[in-house]
Amino acid sequence: MKAVVPAPSVITTDVLVLGAGGAGMCAALRARESGADVLMIDKCGIGYNGQVPIGGGILAYVYPSYVDQWVEKVTRGSHFFNNQDWTRLFGSRMHQSTMDLAAMGLTFLRKSGDIDILTWGPDIHVTLFDAPKSLLALKRTAVSRGIRMMDKIFAVDLLKNGDQVVGAVGLGLVDGKVYLFNAKATIIATGNCGYMHEKTYASVLGEGPAMGYRAGAQLTNAEFNSLYVWGIKVLGKELMGIHFYLYLENALGEKIMGKYYPQLMEGEHAVYTFDPRVIHAMYEEVKAGRGPIYLNLQGLTEAEIAWCGDDIVPELTHIMANDTMLLLREKCGIDPSRERMEMWPRYLYSGGGLRIDLRGRTTLPGLWAAGGACNNCWSNGGGGQAGLGVQSAAITGFVAGEDAGAYARGAERLEIDRAYADDVLARVLEPLQRTGEVDPYEVTYRVHEAIVPMKYNRIREAGRMREALSILEDARERLSRVGVADFHDLARRHSAESMLMAAEFTYRAALLREESRAQHFREDFPERDDRKWLKWICIERREDGPALLTVPVPLRDYPLQPEWYRDQLQTQPHSDRQD
Amino acid sequence: MAIRRFDREACTGCGNCVAACPMDVLRLDETDGKAVVKYPLDCIACWGCESFCPQGCFDVSPERARGELVSPY
Repeated sequence: MKAVVPAPSVITTDVLVLGAGGAGMCAALRARESGADVLMIDKCGIGYNGQVPIGGGILAYVYPSYVDQWVEKVTRGSHFFNNQDWTRLFGSRMHQSTMDLAAMGLTFLRKSGDIDILTWGPDIHVTLFDAPKSLLALKRTAVSRGIRMMDKIFAVDLLKNGDQVVGAVGLGLVDGKVYLFNAKATIIATGNCGYMHEKTYASVLGEGPAMGYRAGAQLTNAEFNSLYVWGIKVLGKELMGIHFYLYLENALGEKIMGKYYPQLMEGEHAVYTFDPRVIHAMYEEVKAGRGPIYLNLQGLTEAEIAWCGDDIVPELTHIMANDTMLLLREKCGIDPSRERMEMWPRYLYSGGGLRIDLRGRTTLPGLWAAGGACNNCWSNGGGGQAGLGVQSAAITGFVAGEDAGAYARGAERLEIDRAYADDVLARVLEPLQRTGEVDPYEVTYRVHEAIVPMKYNRIREAGRMREALSILEDARERLSRVGVADFHDLARRHSAESMLMAAEFTYRAALLREESRAQHFREDFPERDDRKWLKWICIERREDGPALLTVPVPLRDYPLQPEWYRDQLQTQPHSDRQD
Repeated sequence: MAIRRFDREACTGCGNCVAACPMDVLRLDETDGKAVVKYPLDCIACWGCESFCPQGCFDVSPERARGELVSPY
């Protein structure tokens, strides 16, 4: 026995919020409005962590008068795969969510006193906010409203009493204590799984969906939203800026984007770091033996390079971590106007998350989810509009907080089942009893080997995905031999397991979905198959491992239906939904 | 590499770096309250600490402490 762990401390609350990023803040603030006692915990320091402060400060916006058309656009764009109820709820709440965030302290770019709503494309609107200071502003509001907070607590597993979630286990990273949080309602807002391959959003490592799954909640859409960004290799970071795509070239010095997307070379376009078209062009060029890909800004003036970035708003705060050109000069000694720079795609994050309903409830009583940790099937087609991630965090946060707060007002708090807690603690603390034979990073590296290469994860094919799964099997074997000395390493070990689970679920769902749809591309099933695959894949824990369930998109209940489906209904009015 | 310089003299112990670090690399020293680089190997060079330090105490390299990553190709 290596480490002595003190007896757990029990802390009670009405609403427990795991993760204090954008979604967690919105959930906590809204839950508090119902009068509930709210406790928010985060593995980092509240106010600085999460994906929002280090992101671009863009919030998607839809005018209330445009909601109907927006819902139709997203629905048709997703080929009727979206959850239309959620799409409508999402679109119809964007205006109020924006106003609420402003009232809660977010600083927006304004024009004549009003929030400036910018037009970034045909019927595409955004607002800009001060991202680095945003969570600090929400934190000040949360403190003033009596929301309790604890920093540096790593939430690792949920606690139950019967079928009901009654809180969570937290590891005190600084004080070395084990906490048992006992709540009426628990909201998971810990983000999706970023795998720490791309450093910008490295704080989210899949812990929330993993703990939800272990407790019995369903996950959904694991095969979608796998996203690569493009960046300068030596910086190991995405390239922020919207016109740099014009200057991407192959090893022969040929500009690459015009080869695949000539329309992007005429007029002015905004092409973001997460635009899949750039990744596609890079992949094709490298596959054809014309790699590596470079960003060549040689001969451009400073003003021209600044135009490529075109994302500096003087009224808003900018941090060094987001200023690529400054980082190149100061950290790498590179003058971007004098030498070309090798580019690399970076794996940003996986899709999917805890399945939620229109109130933010997961499939487990007592458990809600918000932000990147949840998935409500509204997306997969809403693309083309920047800032949807932050708006989704805010709205799912508000929805979950509203419902969890109302629930907590009327419910009794159930005690923690001590036998259940003891089992969880035995599992969680077990790696402390072993000497460090394997470092958790070995597991993470193996997960990267399975999830990062585009041959496995972007251009998918059954044989290659099975190869990736066999790498993950090896990662799991290594995980079983991880030994750790303290809670810092214990948290790294559990994060490695969360990443491993996210990767396994991605490939299992991707293997089952024998078609191509949205960013899920199967080389062996290159066509979209609406008649067979207008189904959501959900994953649930069973005794013998994860079970994959398919849920037909309930088109019969939705206002918008594809023509072929309407024709089918007319000829077979009593037939069930396609199954 | 990763955190290649930390100016302990200039540190006021505000804790911004500890809060901003997604990898739990930094902590505050229990005796004098200043930041310490407790788990340097886990730094992924995200520049969070450097971006949020009001005193300019950090110089973070582009490379991660544990080296380069798996290729996407």
